[in-house]
Amino acid sequence: MDEFDYKELGLKCGLEIHQQLNSETKLFCRCPNELQGTREPDFILRREMRPVLGEMGTYDKAMLTEYEKDLDIIYECYNDVICTYEIDETPPFMCNIEARKIAIKIGLLLNSNIIKEMHVCRKNYLDGSVPCGFQRTMILAKDGYVELENGKKIGIDILCLEEDAARRTETEKKEKTNFFRLDRLGIPLVEVTTKPDINDPDECRECAERLGLLLWSTNVKKVLGSIRQDINVSIKKGTRIEIKGVQKLDWIPLLINHEISRQYNLIQIKEQLTQKDLNKQESIGEIKDISNQLKETSCKFIAKGIKSGKKLYGLNIRGFNKIFGKELMENYRFGTEVSSKVKSISGLKGLIHSDENLKEYGFSEKDIGIIKNTLNVKKEDCFVLLLGKETEINKALHVIENRVKYAFEGVPPETRKALENGNTEFLRELHGGARLYPDTDSQPIINKDQEIQEITTHLPDYPWKIIKKYSTKFETEERVIKELIFSGYLELFETLLEYYPDNPTLIITSLLETATALRRDGKQIENITDEDYIEIFSLLKSKEIGKEAVEDLMVGKADNPELTIEAIKDNLNLESISKDELNDIINSIIDKNFNLLKEQKMRAMGPLMGDAMKQVRGKIDGAIVSKALKNALLEKIKELN
Amino acid sequence: MTEKLKGYKKETKTLLNNKNIGIWDILKVKTDKAAYQGILLPRNEYSESGFIELKLKNNYNVGIKLEEIKDIEKIGKKEAKYKIPEKKFPKTKGFPEITLLGTGGTVASRLDYTTGAVIPAFTPGELFSAVPELAEVCNLETIMVFEILSENMKPQYWQELADEVAKQANSAKDGVMIAHGTDTMGFTSAALSFMLKDLNIPVVFVGSQRSSDRPSSDAPMNLINAATVATSNIAEVVIVMMGSSAHDYGLIHRGTLVRKMHTSYRNTFRTIDDIPLGMVKNRKIRMFKDNYNRRNDKKTIALTDFEEKVALIYSHVGLTNEEIDFYIDKGYKGIVFAGTGLGHVSTRIYDALERALEEEIIVLMTSQTLHGFVGMNVYSTGRELLNLGVIPGRNMIPEVAYVKLGWVLGQTSNFKEAKALLTTNIAGEFIDREIPIAYNYNIDQLLKNNKV
Ligand SMILES: [Zn+2]
Repeated sequence: MDEFDYKELGLKCGLEIHQQLNSETKLFCRCPNELQGTREPDFILRREMRPVLGEMGTYDKAMLTEYEKDLDIIYECYNDVICTYEIDETPPFMCNIEARKIAIKIGLLLNSNIIKEMHVCRKNYLDGSVPCGFQRTMILAKDGYVELENGKKIGIDILCLEEDAARRTETEKKEKTNFFRLDRLGIPLVEVTTKPDINDPDECRECAERLGLLLWSTNVKKVLGSIRQDINVSIKKGTRIEIKGVQKLDWIPLLINHEISRQYNLIQIKEQLTQKDLNKQESIGEIKDISNQLKETSCKFIAKGIKSGKKLYGLNIRGFNKIFGKELMENYRFGTEVSSKVKSISGLKGLIHSDENLKEYGFSEKDIGIIKNTLNVKKEDCFVLLLGKETEINKALHVIENRVKYAFEGVPPETRKALENGNTEFLRELHGGARLYPDTDSQPIINKDQEIQEITTHLPDYPWKIIKKYSTKFETEERVIKELIFSGYLELFETLLEYYPDNPTLIITSLLETATALRRDGKQIENITDEDYIEIFSLLKSKEIGKEAVEDLMVGKADNPELTIEAIKDNLNLESISKDELNDIINSIIDKNFNLLKEQKMRAMGPLMGDAMKQVRGKIDGAIVSKALKNALLEKIKELN
Repeated sequence: MTEKLKGYKKETKTLLNNKNIGIWDILKVKTDKAAYQGILLPRNEYSESGFIELKLKNNYNVGIKLEEIKDIEKIGKKEAKYKIPEKKFPKTKGFPEITLLGTGGTVASRLDYTTGAVIPAFTPGELFSAVPELAEVCNLETIMVFEILSENMKPQYWQELADEVAKQANSAKDGVMIAHGTDTMGFTSAALSFMLKDLNIPVVFVGSQRSSDRPSSDAPMNLINAATVATSNIAEVVIVMMGSSAHDYGLIHRGTLVRKMHTSYRNTFRTIDDIPLGMVKNRKIRMFKDNYNRRNDKKTIALTDFEEKVALIYSHVGLTNEEIDFYIDKGYKGIVFAGTGLGHVSTRIYDALERALEEEIIVLMTSQTLHGFVGMNVYSTGRELLNLGVIPGRNMIPEVAYVKLGWVLGQTSNFKEAKALLTTNIAGEFIDREIPIAYNYNIDQLLKNNKV
């Protein structure tokens, strides 16, 4: 299934990447750019959103759909880290200069043209994720490219600077209520949109990785969830499908291949239906409440459902025999496509169709006969059963009818959600062009030539070049340097190298392996600041500590964030010792263990080394201790002989 | 010609003129590194010159620097299209008949997606399109009395408004709503409170702090709440606006005890020195106070004469005789002081005050603390001011005192009569006693404790 001829299929992919910036404060207010994690909110605020009338005196359809869901919106707020701007009680303040400059840098790295006069626009969001009802966004750069390893250039359509929306929380599983936490709202974000220049799934993965590396080589937020990527996929005769929530780069080729399969098979269904000369308008046949007829069914959950007052509806879909059972992608049939859309829009779970093994559900021949008779199902037809409340069923029937009729058109334009197994599920209808309009609360923002010039002269190397350079220079795998970038430690590594050029591998090991191991042990390694690392490696450079002490100091700081490295070093008794002091310690150990030495000779080296290290650990390099101990032992043994 | 290139200046204008390009034209623009296609937008006249402003196909707006433009070409034109909605406000037999008077503030609007401009929606049909729930509360008629920005309000407009309200009150109407910008809403509510004698129906001021073109606007809920109060039994001039930052309930504030207290909060209006008259939520009213006038059969009279030569002076450190003399010289008939603390001004301006009082200018004292009574018997300065003839304004908010003095001096030019009228409670502007929770009342808390 994965052996598609992408050229023949006319595969076109594009990427949309969102990345939070690491400016000190938010984009339009001076609140800190800090997520509060699981911290309890200080107060909540209930609000209502209404669609606004457009210039033609009508409502936008997508907005109306959202409004009709009749959702309550509750904002979870903090007293200290949000202000009246986030709760839509005060107009925006000046656009954050630091964030703007980071975005300009990204725009320049993407070889794009920086917009000289930016206009803040409003993008309406009615789901409640932005308290004012719109996100403030602006185009910062346009028409750039990113180059792939083989030299192919993928066009960058636009780079936008915008505010992040509030984060959805599920503090209460209450129906019809959306909870949003306002700490994330207003964090500066760049959105990079490529042109649909990508024609191969692996190329798409590479492009996403390069864009990610490029973004992470600038001052962006480098934590889990700070980067979010969406893919657009289409093939010839198919439709542009937006896939959201792609969490890992490795998912990309799989997702694209599955989506190609889905679109390809939907196009096949369309052709099949056209060949059969079926009439789209007459495809939905009898729709009937068959609760009474199936009261005595041998299918237990249906019988139970009907008994509890639910309704069982059946509908005949003319000419659709074997279509509901057709596999579109792995473990996903046309029936799955219909039922997941039904679930998402109407809330009705579970839909049974005649392409399934009905015996497995417990239906008897008699049941099936009754259904077919009542719904007038012929050999070429398919029937669908729905069990639920009347209101749910009515909504569901509407969804089924629309989806079945769209089978005659091919692939319906949708936004879909990425799943771990490479499949996708329906998220919402694709909006026909975002409704954007100028923000009347803001003045145009000028990107001055001088500012752009200044940033241009300090532009860093491309990360893929740095990876090559460093892996050669420090004799490490490229993977390791990539890991440094994606763990957000590249800059710190470069800084630490200035303080401690002696052993780059030790720095890398500490930042990656040691840190990972400590984190796995439940240590709060985020307590170790860049300054702490600088101090640790400065101590190492001035030989005040041995390299074994690095991990101890990291543990100490992780456990006691309030202490300085100096204090932790004192607590650990890590004052480095001189060779003379070392010799004194070794001699006293040898004296104490004289009998052992007499018996075991050089085999006493192991236990004695352990004793020595207990006393000098971190104060002096273990290799020196070992050497000194060995010499002392050899001498003592010589004396004994 | 100016309209054709609205907001464009200097070289930019010349270039566009030379190419025969006007706003709303669809342009293709090339710069060194990029190519743009979009609609030329009108430009704010305060924006920097040297840019052209386009709305791109993806609906984003950008400004392109004139000196970077290599080529510019006109390829079409997009006319802005507006349509009046065909919907009619449904009339329901037996529903209260309410008139909404317009003053220029927008309580409902449509959005021009191209420019972001707000197109006011004011006819009953338009209001019904925007807030259909109104039709479940009343039958609606609308009259645009005048169209001004709230900050440009003036006494003459109060008079026009009061006359119109009296006309409505004496017709078969059951209530009046007045859509008003929030900046000066408190002044106008006070003015109408004094001007409308024997008011027989509710007169409800309504506005919005978040404009109606945004999904989070407070306007729809304020309108529904105001309409509900306009159909109620409260025959007073009141302001009905949101009572909390949440979209939860509206508060009913007496027109002479209310003030805008925050530049931008939704619940910016607060009753001063008392708790609000009541609240309105989900089309139901709950009263906190009982001392309001009920609907009645009296004939409402508009006493609209107003003396405009009244000054409102904020007492401050450094206030000089000169500043007071200016008003005396200009023939002012009354001065309201927003005094410090209990109602004080510096003893250094006694000379000017003495002169003012000698010339029979009425001097009324209020406090810039806004809350509390003036207490002019407590300190020597207060006692001296009383001796000079300054009239204590009791608990009146400075702005309300200003409106009252202007209105009183419109009613009589007799110094003694004016003084007597000033100290009479005309429209609930005086309170007898300040209940402890009045200062810093928190309705949410009071509701929670079930204390109101
Ligand atoms: Zn803030």
